[in-house]
Amino acid sequence: MDTSQYLDIFLDESKEHLQNLSDQIMELEQNPENMDTINEIFRAAHSLKGMAGTMGYKRMQTLTHDMENVFSEVRNGTFKVQSGMIDILFRCLDALEEYVDNIQQTTEEGTNDNQDLIDFLNNILKNNGEIKPKDTSRAPVNKEDSVDSSTSSDNTPSEKQERWQEIRITDTEKMLVEKAFSEEINVYGLTVYVEEACVLKAARAFLVFKALEKLGEIIVSDPAAQDIEDEKFDLTFSIIFVSRSDSNEIRAAVKSVSEIEEVLCSEYKLSEEMIKTEVKSAIETKTIDEVKATVQSDSTAALTPKMTATSTPATASATKPASKANAKPVVNRTVRVDIEKLDNLMNLVSELIIAKNSLISATASEEKGVNGVNNAIHEQIEYLESVTTNLHESVMKVRMVPIESVVAKFPRMIRDLSKKLNKKMELYMTGEDTELDRTVVDEIGDPLMHMLRNSADHGLETNEVRVANGKPEVGSIFLDAYQDGNNVVIEVRDDGGGINVDAVRSKAIERGTITPEQAVTMTEKEIIDLLFLPSFSTAKQVSDVSGRGVGLDVVKSKIESLSGEVEVKNQYGEGSSWIIRLPLTLAIIQALMVVVGDEKYAIALGSIQTIEDVPQEDIKLVQAKEVIHIRGTVIPIIRLRKVLDIPTEEAAQKKNFTVIIVKKGDKQAGLVVDELIGQQEVVIKSMGKYIKVPKMISGATILGDGEVALILDTNALI
Amino acid sequence: MDEIKVMDEQKRSMSLNRPVEHGSTQFIVTQLGGEQYGIDIKYISNIIRMSKITRVPKVSDYIKGVINVRGVVIPTISLRLKLGLPEEEITKKTRIIILTLEQHESIGVLVDEVKEVVTLEENHIERIGYEKDDKERFLSGVGKSDGKLISLLDITSVLAEVVDV
Repeated sequence: MDTSQYLDIFLDESKEHLQNLSDQIMELEQNPENMDTINEIFRAAHSLKGMAGTMGYKRMQTLTHDMENVFSEVRNGTFKVQSGMIDILFRCLDALEEYVDNIQQTTEEGTNDNQDLIDFLNNILKNNGEIKPKDTSRAPVNKEDSVDSSTSSDNTPSEKQERWQEIRITDTEKMLVEKAFSEEINVYGLTVYVEEACVLKAARAFLVFKALEKLGEIIVSDPAAQDIEDEKFDLTFSIIFVSRSDSNEIRAAVKSVSEIEEVLCSEYKLSEEMIKTEVKSAIETKTIDEVKATVQSDSTAALTPKMTATSTPATASATKPASKANAKPVVNRTVRVDIEKLDNLMNLVSELIIAKNSLISATASEEKGVNGVNNAIHEQIEYLESVTTNLHESVMKVRMVPIESVVAKFPRMIRDLSKKLNKKMELYMTGEDTELDRTVVDEIGDPLMHMLRNSADHGLETNEVRVANGKPEVGSIFLDAYQDGNNVVIEVRDDGGGINVDAVRSKAIERGTITPEQAVTMTEKEIIDLLFLPSFSTAKQVSDVSGRGVGLDVVKSKIESLSGEVEVKNQYGEGSSWIIRLPLTLAIIQALMVVVGDEKYAIALGSIQTIEDVPQEDIKLVQAKEVIHIRGTVIPIIRLRKVLDIPTEEAAQKKNFTVIIVKKGDKQAGLVVDELIGQQEVVIKSMGKYIKVPKMISGATILGDGEVALILDTNALI
Repeated sequence: MDEIKVMDEQKRSMSLNRPVEHGSTQFIVTQLGGEQYGIDIKYISNIIRMSKITRVPKVSDYIKGVINVRGVVIPTISLRLKLGLPEEEITKKTRIIILTLEQHESIGVLVDEVKEVVTLEENHIERIGYEKDDKERFLSGVGKSDGKLISLLDITSVLAEVVDV
C-alpha cells in the first residue's frame, strides 16, 4: 500500500506522542502511583503502535507493542513502577526516536531491532516488574510467548458476528442477487473487523473495497459507502458481494490488507426479512445491467474517486482529530500550512505596506502643490494604514510558534545529564509559551541545548563542592523565556560556580590568544567574551557532554545569523546567566530614517538608545579618536559621512551635530548624521547576490516614493 | 482556426530552431559611445527608463548602486565602466536593461541607448577565438547586420566578474 501521503501526518503525530510519552514518564518518575499518568502513557504508546503498524514499520510497532504490554500490566496493578523501569522506558523512547528520525530521512525505519530493549521489557513482564539481568538463553522464546499472550489479552472478548446478515437489501439489490444466482455466480456476505488500534480506518476500508473489486462486485455495504469513507463506522463493516472466486480467496484478499483483524465470509442466502419492503419496484423496468451500473456507482464508485484523492489535505487532516482525540481531551482546531505559503503571504503583505507608504508620500507631496487635499482621501489612507498594520501583525502571528516545541525535550536531557555527570540537578523552565518566528524557533534548539549542557557540566559544581560551599546539594538550572518589546529574551541561568575569570585569563595567555600585557588591561567582560572565540574551552577534562572547544563560538554565530545577540552575566561563586536576545521577526522592522549627505539610510530602531544634539565643541579627541561625554559615559563618535564615503565639505561648518547613540551589547557609539526624517516601518529586501555589499549594510528597503534606501547595520559599525 | 495553427507551427519551428547550431539568434542592440553592442535577448527580462539609483558605499565604481523594479531591489552596473569606456552621461535616452540569468537573480545594466532588435543568422556572426585581448574578453563574437558591426556581449562573463568583486 502506498502510505507516503500519510507520512507527514505520521511523523508529526509520532513526534507529538513521543514528546507526550517523555513528559509523562518524567511525571511518572516523580509520582509512580499516578493513575492518570499511567493511562496517558498507555494511550500514547497504544496510538504510536497503531500508527507504526499502519505505516508498515514493523520494528517500531513491536517495540511500542511491548512497551504497551508493560503499561497495561502497570495499569492493571499487577506490579508497580520502579526507577530501573523508567530508565529502560527512556531508552525505548530513544530507540523510537531513532526510528522516527530514520523514517524522516529515508522513509525506512532502519534495521535496528532493539532486541535487548524488547528482552528487558519482556523480563519486566515475566518477573512482575522486577528488573533482573536478562536470561539470554531464554530471551527469544520469552518474546514469542509474551507477544502471543498479549495479543489475546489485547483483543476484546466480544464475539465476532456475521453482521452482514443484518443488512436489509432493496428490490434492486435483490434482483442483482437473484441474477447472480441464476448465472451461478456466488454471492457472499462479508463482515470485516478492523483492528482496534487502526488509525486510518477509512483508508483500510478503502483498501478492502479495492481488493474486493478485483474479484467481483460489491452490491451493498453497511454502513453506506459514503459513511465508511467519512470514517462513520465503528470497527466493523459488512458487504454483500458477488464473485466467481471462492470464499477462501476472498478472505485472503481482505486479509492481505494490514490491520484487518478478522474477516467473516460465507454464502449469502436470500430470505424475506432481509428485503426492504418500502422501496418498491419503480426501477424494475430497467434492465439488470443498468441497475448493476447504478448500484456500482452507489457503493464503490462513490467511494473510489474520493478515496483515491485522500492525498488532499482535507481528507488527510480529517483523520487527525480522530486519532488525536485519544491523546488529548482538548483538541485545537488547526490547519497545517506549508511555511512557503506563509512566506508568500508575508511577501504580499510587504508589498502592500510599500504601496501604502507610497500613497502616503504621494498625498503629502500633492499637499504642497494644491492646497487642501480631499479630507476623505486622508481618512481612507489612515484606514488603509490600520488595516495593513493589523494584517501584518496577523500574518506574523501565524508564523509564530511557541518555543515549547524546542524546549520540551530539555527536562529529559537534563535528567540524562544528571545521571551521566553524577550531579544532582533540576531544570526549571518558564515562558515555554513565548512565541517566535517559525524559522527562528527551528534554529534556536541547538544553541540552547549547548548552553544548558554548559551550565550542567561547567556551571554546576559537584554535589560535594556544593554542600561544602553551603549551597543546596541539588543544583538548579533555569530557562526563562519572555518577550521584551520587539525582542524575545531567552535566559539560561544556573546557581553554580560561575565563570572563573582568572582561569579564563590564564588559559587565554597560555594559549597565546592574548598577551600578558593585554590581559592586565582587559575588563572582566572582555575576558568572558574570549569564551566565544573558536576553540576555547576551560574545562580541564574533555567530557562528551561539553568542552570539546566547539560550541560557544557556534552558539554565538548562530544567534547572530538570526540577528540576535548573546550576553553573559557572571557572579563568580554564585552562578552565571546567558542571555539570548532575538528579534520577533526578520522581515519587517521599525526603523529611523536619517539623511547623510543627500542619501537616505534606515537604522533599526531596536539598536538606538537616544538621539542627542551635540555642539561642535563637545566633541573631544582621545587617543586621536573623537568621543563625546554624555551623562558620565565616554562614547566614541562615528561620522557616517566618512564611513559611507560621502564628501564632508560643508558639514565641518556646522555648529551642532545630530548624534544617534546606538548600542551593541554593552558597547555604545554615536553616529553623526545630517538630518532625521522620522520613524518608519520598513520591509527588509535582499540586495541580490551579484554585488557583495559591505558588512555595515544589512539590506535595502523601498521607500514610499519608490526609491531604495539602504539599511545600516550598526552592530558592524561599532 | 487555420491561422492559429500556422502561428503555432511558426512558434514551434522558432523555438526548435534556436538551439540549433545554424539557427538565428535575436539580439537587442544598444549604443555605448560610438559603438553598438548586442545582448542576447534570452537574458533580457525588462528594459526600463532611467530611474533613481541608490549608491552603495564601498563597492567597485562600475557598480552604480541599487534600483527598485516593481518592488524588487536590483543591483545596477555601468556597462561603459565595466568595458573600460568613459563614464556615461545620463540623458533622456539612457536605459537600464534588466538581465535575469538563473534562479530569478536579476541585475540592471546601464546603457546609453537601446536601438533595435536584430536577428542574426549564425553565418553572420564571426566568433572570436580563445585568444581574446583585454577589450574583447567580454565579447562572444561580432555580428554583421545591414553593413553595421555589432559587438556581441558574452553576458555570463560580464556578470561572472561582478560576483567575484
